[in-house]
Amino acid sequence: MIRFHWMLPKAFEVRPGQTPREAARYRVESIQLDSPSPKPDMDGWLEFARTAEDAGIESVLISFSRYEPEPFMVACAMGQETARLKYIVAYRSGLMGPTSFVQQINTLSALIDGRVAINIVAGSSAAEQRGYGDFLPHDERYARAEEFLAAANAFWREGHDVDFDGRYYKLEKGTLHTPFVAPGRRAPEIYVSGHSEQSMRLAATQGTCWLRAADTPESLRPPVARMRGLGIDVCLRACVICRPTREEALRVAQSLLPDDRRETTIALKNDSRMYAESGAKDEWLNRTLWTGLVPHYGPVWTTLVGTPEELAGAFLAYKEIGVNQFILSGWPEVDEVSIFGRDVIPRVRDAERRQVA
Amino acid sequence: MSALRFHWMMPKGGEVSMKTAQETSRVLTTKKESPAAMPDVQGWTRFARAAEESGIESVLLSFSRYEPDTLLIACAMGRATPALKYIVAYRSGLIQPAPFVQQINTLSGLIGGRVALNIVAGSSTAEQRGYGDYLEHDDRYARAEEFLRICNSFWSEQTVAFDGKYYRVDGGRLHAPFQSPDRTAPEIYVSGHSPQAQALALSQGSAWLRLIDTPEKLAPIVAQVRERGVEVCLRLCVICRETRDEAVAAAMAMLPNDDTEKEERGILNRSDSQTLKQALAAADERGWMNRNLYAGLVPYYGSSSITLIGSPDELAEQFLEYKKIGVTQFIIAGWPKLDEMLIFGREVLPRVRQMEGS
Repeated sequence: MIRFHWMLPKAFEVRPGQTPREAARYRVESIQLDSPSPKPDMDGWLEFARTAEDAGIESVLISFSRYEPEPFMVACAMGQETARLKYIVAYRSGLMGPTSFVQQINTLSALIDGRVAINIVAGSSAAEQRGYGDFLPHDERYARAEEFLAAANAFWREGHDVDFDGRYYKLEKGTLHTPFVAPGRRAPEIYVSGHSEQSMRLAATQGTCWLRAADTPESLRPPVARMRGLGIDVCLRACVICRPTREEALRVAQSLLPDDRRETTIALKNDSRMYAESGAKDEWLNRTLWTGLVPHYGPVWTTLVGTPEELAGAFLAYKEIGVNQFILSGWPEVDEVSIFGRDVIPRVRDAERRQVA
Repeated sequence: MSALRFHWMMPKGGEVSMKTAQETSRVLTTKKESPAAMPDVQGWTRFARAAEESGIESVLLSFSRYEPDTLLIACAMGRATPALKYIVAYRSGLIQPAPFVQQINTLSGLIGGRVALNIVAGSSTAEQRGYGDYLEHDDRYARAEEFLRICNSFWSEQTVAFDGKYYRVDGGRLHAPFQSPDRTAPEIYVSGHSPQAQALALSQGSAWLRLIDTPEKLAPIVAQVRERGVEVCLRLCVICRETRDEAVAAAMAMLPNDDTEKEERGILNRSDSQTLKQALAAADERGWMNRNLYAGLVPYYGSSSITLIGSPDELAEQFLEYKKIGVTQFIIAGWPKLDEMLIFGREVLPRVRQMEGS
């Protein structure tokens, strides 16, 4: 079965009576200094989390940036107050040593019944990384992330006497008594994101899943086949606009375009291959895959637009080429996740059951 | 003068239901199979509620490779309790200052600002190496100084630039603020007995945290620190019983077998911490440091087990003696922690408050 995850909304993004456009603008503007989004918003997040659980969503991804609260703390607080939802916490290597990182993740797992997974990002913006004290160039960041995860995985395999002698990390008899605690797992799932060859290699050597922005099934077929052949899951990031008719869905999509068609936040992620690739493309890559927002806000705004039938079909087409997970978002998140749980997931599950039978 | 502030050590995982002091010894709780490795939200919640009812302001969460991570425990416990504050121990050298501040700030927003820091430069070379840290004692303090300086910049400025020996930050900005009803930055306790630790407390901390000693010994040094606007907080244990004789008997009953001593002595000797060496010396030289202060448990229970022993009246008087010389805060432990805290809240604290008021 396809696994569906969702993005955790920004803090104070969840508000009653918002239009899709207002919700999208809130997200775009959440990096401004006067946005309320850097402060934790337990009420809004819990409302979203309960809706997502009811909708059949498995996990939420909590993103990491200097504009937001810190994901581990948010996952800890949210995990205490939800029963089923899992938390995929984004983290950048280079900010913490692997030993203390594993200690935090293990503690978190023990506090919330193992409902934690990791999304490792090698780093998206050189300026932001320098603000975190990290001055390594892009290509070396992958080499370091590889060491970071190799050391972390050694802790999850052995737990004690971890020796590591790398270029970026050296550990001598590393020991942690607090284990990773989860039903059926001794280590968290590790999502490695990126579009570069390095990100694919890192996912293959140290991760459990390669995470990237959605593209057409045709263009994704070869890399997905390669990753699945290596035993690695593939998870796509996409936005969703689902309405009873195609016309309504298209109207919502059009309403999200910025008034100033030159507006772009892509330059903020100047060090990302994924963002560098998000320039000129056709606005419609196929009948349901729309990139109208990508030139403005980057590839994670690649959007699946259509009726419940069309969208269910689109997910099944991805499943056919080997994609097995999705991390979605919509505008406003609570409304879109309810629609998705009510109208799209049941259709996908029906089709999956028919395939098995 | 404002009222003395009393904090307590958070019990280790599983400790709240342990019956004997011996079970809680460091030698046993650092064994791989010890329940100290696991979070104990149920036991801790029971303890935390009792602490709130006993008039305890904060609990200190200790950091080591044998225990769960302090920041996450503070997050979980802070969400489960309404009033108690959490002093989280953390070692510099394990995380960059910016993401550390982002964690602390987020934590403050989630638990109403009830978080303070206890920065430890590092206690054992072997343990630090397991964390990837190969600096020697003195360099660790130099790095901790840079670490806290950057943290303090994030708490006082919008953009941080720093070019030091151990850290570099360029255009550092964090949008998540430290959230608290009355502070824009957390209180920072710096622990250690070495001159470097003291210097660090004075330059970057809000309180110097050290082991208890006699008021006479501490008076000059506390005065120095207070003059510079930094508080002094003492770490100690307490055994309070109706009479002094009962309290002394309770202390003597804790002396365990020789093996534990050998192992604990080994830990103390292998450490390069000044604090630990001085505590062991105190125990070997004297045992009783004055009528109420006993160092005889150190070889068995570790450096922080220098203990105030006596009746409620005697102990209340002792705390007031420390107040006279300028000490403002205490972080206390007892055996078992919960029972001793209940006695303290019922018998000692009301007497202290009465004497402070008169």
